[in-house]
Amino acid sequence: MRSARAGQIVVALAAAAVLAFAVLGDDEYTQHLLMWTALNAVLAVGLRFMLLVGETNIGTGAFYGMGAYMGAICTTKWGLPFPLALLAGGLLAIVVSTGFGLVTLRTKGPYFMLISFAFTEVVRLIYTRVEWLGGNSGIIGIFPPQALDPWMSVLTFLLCGGLILMMYLCEQSNLGRVFRAIQNNDAVVETVGIDVVQIKLVCLVIASFSVGIAGSLHAHIYNVISPGDFSYLVPVFALAYIKIGGDANVMGAVIGAAILTVLAQMLQGMGSLEHVLFGGAIVASMLVLPDGLLGGGRRLLRLFSRGRA
Amino acid sequence: MTAPLLVAQAISRRFGGILAVNDFSFEIQPGEVMGLIGPNGAGKSTTFNVISGFYKPTTGKLTFLGEDITGLSAAAISRRGLVRTFQHGSLLREMTVHDNILIGALRAVRDNSGREMRVRETAALLGLGGLLHATAGSLPHGLQRMLSIAIAFAARPKLLCLDEPLTGLNSTEAVAALEVIGRIRDEYETTILLVDHNMRVVMRICDRIAVLNYGQKLAEGTPEEIRNNPDVIRAYLGDGE
Repeated sequence: MRSARAGQIVVALAAAAVLAFAVLGDDEYTQHLLMWTALNAVLAVGLRFMLLVGETNIGTGAFYGMGAYMGAICTTKWGLPFPLALLAGGLLAIVVSTGFGLVTLRTKGPYFMLISFAFTEVVRLIYTRVEWLGGNSGIIGIFPPQALDPWMSVLTFLLCGGLILMMYLCEQSNLGRVFRAIQNNDAVVETVGIDVVQIKLVCLVIASFSVGIAGSLHAHIYNVISPGDFSYLVPVFALAYIKIGGDANVMGAVIGAAILTVLAQMLQGMGSLEHVLFGGAIVASMLVLPDGLLGGGRRLLRLFSRGRA
Repeated sequence: MTAPLLVAQAISRRFGGILAVNDFSFEIQPGEVMGLIGPNGAGKSTTFNVISGFYKPTTGKLTFLGEDITGLSAAAISRRGLVRTFQHGSLLREMTVHDNILIGALRAVRDNSGREMRVRETAALLGLGGLLHATAGSLPHGLQRMLSIAIAFAARPKLLCLDEPLTGLNSTEAVAALEVIGRIRDEYETTILLVDHNMRVVMRICDRIAVLNYGQKLAEGTPEEIRNNPDVIRAYLGDGE
């Protein structure tokens, strides 16, 4: 109990430090790095949210992409205000994920994973074929209002933080307990009168909403989107963030996203070596730290406290 | 005599070419402990899965509390007051005893303080009172069986269906479990349907017993009648040829 309280204080301090940096820092590159990290953190926490019910949702990539395309269309084609563009990304993800879930959530495990994988790829192919969506080259010139420019990183940080907090609070509630129960043994949950498919649908919709809003933010931060940005690789990388940071709690996913986002940027100048080193980092951390950095840190802490006692 | 709690009318369940349950009819009266026995493969588990909604019956009709529940989902049937356990101990292994029982009470009790009371009361009844913070998967086998009953009973069903609740228990644990099942019936006025291999146990606790063989009802009656029924003896011991 006490260590959980201490953990919350550390998280709050870290968040405050990053926020201060987002407000005060004037280095544009670092600001962008911060925003990319925030987006990736939402993706990782969103993917992990469905792992709570035991499902690997590769559709995370599709819902992220829908949010991005919806946001881009709202801004560039319909001239809607920026907040509405953000909301529209989340709402579209809610609508589509509800339909997708109703059809697919009766499957589970590898079957659901494959269906959601296929869904992400089909949606991506649709972008490439539809002229109105820019086809293969995508949509360019997606800008937030100019007045927001100096505040974009703060806004991104707060919005992504809010989405992550929402998913964290869901996990801590009785709803989160039911999620875990479904992961443990869905038949038991069914026998005490809880509709498993319905709860999984709720889980999918909450995660997709978060990822959809993040997608719309993505479009306005990168200013350019194309179909290739939203392939199955998006959730695959998110899975790597989760596994490297540690999948025991939300902070693991956030830390993993932060480290790998920065690492990817550092390796970018290395040409084809980039992917080799990136993959190597993932394999190495899986071998050395099977329960992620957070799990490794906890073990180290325990080792120290035992040494002292 | 009051109206029966559960009426199964000629239920059948087919898996491809195999008729696992064939034209099986029975009634369960409120307040009784009914036993369902039969040799391996007789269709006991299939019957359980059909009445609890995990399988749809191929033909036949199920009536619970006067309402037709044929074809309803397992969750919907459970919400009407028919809750089952599973043969192989149905647990949420990575969760605490407290959270296991809480999941059982979640749908049945609406407010959080009521749920906490329900969890404590249920845990105490099943001998898990001091273990609320233990992880379910780390409990010894006997307590895991008790916990799987606790999850189901936390919903306070009208009909509690126990699928082999005593399998793998030693004799002390089995006696304790029987005592708990008796208390669930007497103190909480719960009707119980029980499947078990242990004939002695079934004979001791059940008011009435139905015997299944090759998916069909072989006999039905009081333990005394079943014990002396020549068909039952033949099914269990062979006919000496």
